[in-house]
Amino acid sequence: MELFQWFCMGILFVLSVAALSYLSVVVKLKWYTLASLALGAFLILFGIGWAGASFLEGIAQSGALALILFCGSGVVLMTLTWRFLVAPELSKQSD
Amino acid sequence: MSNEHDDTKAGDANDQLEPAGGGDRREVDALGLDNPARRKFLTRTAVGGGAALAGLAAGYGAIEYSVQGRPSKNYPEIDEAIFKPKDQRDVVLTFANSKALNEKHPERNEQYNRLQKKEFDFVAGFRDMYAKPWDNNKPGYTQMDRALQLAGWHPLGVAGSRKSANLQPNTPLHSWDQSDVEEEQYKFDDKQAASDAIKSAARVFGAVKCGIARQDKRWDYDPLYDLETNQELSWEEDFPFKPKSVIVMLTPQDYDCVATAPAWTADGTYGAGYTQMGIQADQMAKFLRAMGYHAVSAGNDLGSSVPYAIMAGLGEGARNGTLIAPLVGPRIRICKVYTDFDFVEYDQPHTWGITDFCLSCGKCAEACPADAIPLPSDKNGGYGFEPSYEFSDEPGYTWNNHHGIKKFYSDAKKCYNFWVENGGGCGACIASCTFNEPDFWHHKFILGITPASPKPLHALMAQMHPAFGYGHTNDPAKAEKFWKTGEGMRVNSSMKNNIGTSNKS
Repeated sequence: MELFQWFCMGILFVLSVAALSYLSVVVKLKWYTLASLALGAFLILFGIGWAGASFLEGIAQSGALALILFCGSGVVLMTLTWRFLVAPELSKQSD
Repeated sequence: MSNEHDDTKAGDANDQLEPAGGGDRREVDALGLDNPARRKFLTRTAVGGGAALAGLAAGYGAIEYSVQGRPSKNYPEIDEAIFKPKDQRDVVLTFANSKALNEKHPERNEQYNRLQKKEFDFVAGFRDMYAKPWDNNKPGYTQMDRALQLAGWHPLGVAGSRKSANLQPNTPLHSWDQSDVEEEQYKFDDKQAASDAIKSAARVFGAVKCGIARQDKRWDYDPLYDLETNQELSWEEDFPFKPKSVIVMLTPQDYDCVATAPAWTADGTYGAGYTQMGIQADQMAKFLRAMGYHAVSAGNDLGSSVPYAIMAGLGEGARNGTLIAPLVGPRIRICKVYTDFDFVEYDQPHTWGITDFCLSCGKCAEACPADAIPLPSDKNGGYGFEPSYEFSDEPGYTWNNHHGIKKFYSDAKKCYNFWVENGGGCGACIASCTFNEPDFWHHKFILGITPASPKPLHALMAQMHPAFGYGHTNDPAKAEKFWKTGEGMRVNSSMKNNIGTSNKS
């Protein structure tokens, strides 16, 4: 089960890298925008990894809190970055 | 999003990012595979992914490096003005097992009872401990829990070595008899090969960690004391040889069983741990004697186990008075083998930032049902060259402590008193410890970043430990849960119980 978790995280990692690369090609982004998105993706992956290990060891509370703290922070960071840094660039580009 | 749309977008982006050569690109775009935007996408994916992987690999390497610990130059810190070798008779477990010592020092009982407002009889304690009736409606205190407790300790009793836990020297498993030392001595090529061989053997015998320290008079009980005959024993005249090295081995205890503390259930794994360490130490001593060297094994007897384990590089001293070994925490038992074999590469004390962390943590002190462990908010945080716990300024009250070593001092008398009231052991300070974790990557990560993390963060980390659901004690549900952790033992696919984790609780 632990191996399966790491395999899934590997897939998620590749997808995240591909998504960020694609975004960097289709829209011109400042370095800190990319760094912020990368940090958000890392936090989400970290949270999933933590939560997976916690559920495997049977401490559901740790898994739940990891999802809230790490994944939640990651989602918030990515959402804010998208809203204030990526979306304006996209609309500027489409104009 | 269609491919057509993708290409258009990519083309637009390319125009912005690389104005030069745009005319050629359109031509190449039409060929599809050589689209520069796609090439850029693949390049960035490869470079970005590679960089991220390199970063993760560096982080992994840093954690692995950190978990090895750094050599410690600070241990031991000793105040020579007050330090002197520890008389074995001044250890609570020896005192509580000797009627003669109790009769010799009635003032110790009297003072303890007067100050603590108790009517406690130290010497009757062990007799009373297991006489407490079980209650099958109280999880952790049922007949089954009592049975586990008794079974855990049973082999040690059969072997005649039960009292080694109370520091009785020269019991059958830890015999001083050297009549079976081989005449021919096995010679190792070099010191490292000798150390490796001894540690390989230790693993075969069941040790989870093993280190080798020089024999050190500061940690040996002197004089030794035979509880059976009420006689002092001398290292020079009674011990069968002059020891030069001490091999220290750690025996793991079951995570889920310890988690039930202070219930009787937890005492099952403590007893089993003592039994295992008795066997392991005996096997290691025999291994050395069969190679032609003198060796005597020891459980709690002969010397203080925690400083020897620290000197052997196995962990650090903790607030709760135990050794905290990285990745296993305080969930271990320590046994030793004294030998005259000294052609070995000795280990050095190491630090993982554990003692520093203990200064800000105090979860063990909060969990201690006997209030025997000082809190970080107490005088000196309980850390210093002398005890600073309640009543430690009363003359003679700290008779059981080894003064003059910089460490955390706890009141072992109160601890022992609770064992008796509880009806067998406790271990709440082990179960609640922030370093008591099963073998999963996130715990290793936290251990790895601990030395580099700033001190104010330690207190926060300590608070997060229970918030994340770890370290709760005195919870009847834990005992109920423990008895279900046997499910899956037929296959036991994770094998994490190699270090005492069933992976179920």
